[in-house]
Amino acid sequence: MSRSHQSHSPDTASVPIIDSVMLDRTVLLPSPDVQGTNMDGETVLLDLSSGRYYTLNRVGSVIWEHCTGHHTISDIQAVLCDRFDVASERALDDLVTLVTQLTQEGLLQQERR
Amino acid sequence: MSISVVAQPMTEYLFSLYGTPVRYITSSSRLAAPVEELLRHFRRDAIEEATPLTVRFHAVQDRAEIPLTLSPAARHLASGTDVAAEGRPADDLPYVVSQDGGRLLIDFAEAGLFMIEGAYGRAEGYLLKPERMPTNLIEYLFHLTLVELLRRRELYTIHATALEWQGRGILIPGNSGRGKTTSFISLLRAGYRYVSDDHPLIRDAGGHVELLPFPIKINVTEETIAFFPELRHAPEHVLQRQPGFHKRGFYAEELYRTEIGACCRPAVVLFPKVVDAPQSHLERLPKTRALQLVLPQALLVYDQEVARREFHVWAKLVQQADCYRLHFGRDLLDLPQLITPLLEQVHS
Repeated sequence: MSRSHQSHSPDTASVPIIDSVMLDRTVLLPSPDVQGTNMDGETVLLDLSSGRYYTLNRVGSVIWEHCTGHHTISDIQAVLCDRFDVASERALDDLVTLVTQLTQEGLLQQERR
Repeated sequence: MSISVVAQPMTEYLFSLYGTPVRYITSSSRLAAPVEELLRHFRRDAIEEATPLTVRFHAVQDRAEIPLTLSPAARHLASGTDVAAEGRPADDLPYVVSQDGGRLLIDFAEAGLFMIEGAYGRAEGYLLKPERMPTNLIEYLFHLTLVELLRRRELYTIHATALEWQGRGILIPGNSGRGKTTSFISLLRAGYRYVSDDHPLIRDAGGHVELLPFPIKINVTEETIAFFPELRHAPEHVLQRQPGFHKRGFYAEELYRTEIGACCRPAVVLFPKVVDAPQSHLERLPKTRALQLVLPQALLVYDQEVARREFHVWAKLVQQADCYRLHFGRDLLDLPQLITPLLEQVHS
């Protein structure tokens, strides 16, 4: 049988689907069908519902690591600024871009609290 | 000429794969021989476990004889032609995979229909006109059925060649044409021990994953034969032609001073790529890249819980082993000089 997996890097442009006024009240958590493994700072995700897998670079991996349902988007933004020494606006742009893509791929869910 | 169909008694063949008992039942000698050949190292006279994996293969002459039907609730999972069976008679074999409740149905059109009930550890295969099939195709169809059952007993397989050297395992995954079998033979002739030419087994041993031998006949193309003097000069009865199959096959022990390797920890994973260069060289791969290359050769997501466990086993393999891209040049007979130092650095 052929293996149907395809490797994807979620790096294409997409329209943000995050409410910018709710950043400190939105938490992120992985979809139940997603398995992830961290290797040397990078992450491979497998979507069990589609058989597709994805890779996240170091920044994406830190974001994914904090998508546990306990951290708001603002919390994760602060972590990125701290870990990667980037400006707050740039960190938020990167964060929103990735979260939007992962959400559209069905890998990530958002919850308001 | 008329063909009369006479009901034949079912015969049971027993095997044990690393503690997992397997019962194969068929009434057709045509369907028995390739399976006995495939599992010849695992044959048992008796098995003790009350719930062995059970595969039944039936010979049928017409699809109307196949008593399997899909319910309206069946879900299409995958379809295509069987590119993973490269080099086998199953090339371009169309298939459709459906999930129907707890049953996985694989329809190979003119080759037959297969039903796997993973939760119950059993499978049924209906092979159409098997007397016209190459034996390699029968072997392949059995193997894919068995593999689907084995992964539910946490024994996994990968499309790879594998060897053992002083207790350290080396795994060479990849599609045909990438130098997988050529690099395998180059190491075999240097005294590496034989683990598998096509699909070794892997299991999670707790702190590490373990590489388990699955010895089968080694299939080689004429191009591969041309590289090695001992293959070029091998007699016909050793390097056998196989009806309906473009590769020739031989048993490792008939050409090389080798024996079946021991169960071992995979220490090195090589991803070969043939290059037009005088010398081969190695390129260390990041772990995530190595896992990306392993998954297409190993993981099928049919049962989510099984796939979840299996994914982490492949991740553990990649974590524990050193992974390299082998840029495989024209110095293929010298490959051991490149690989053995890597294994010498690894503590067994």
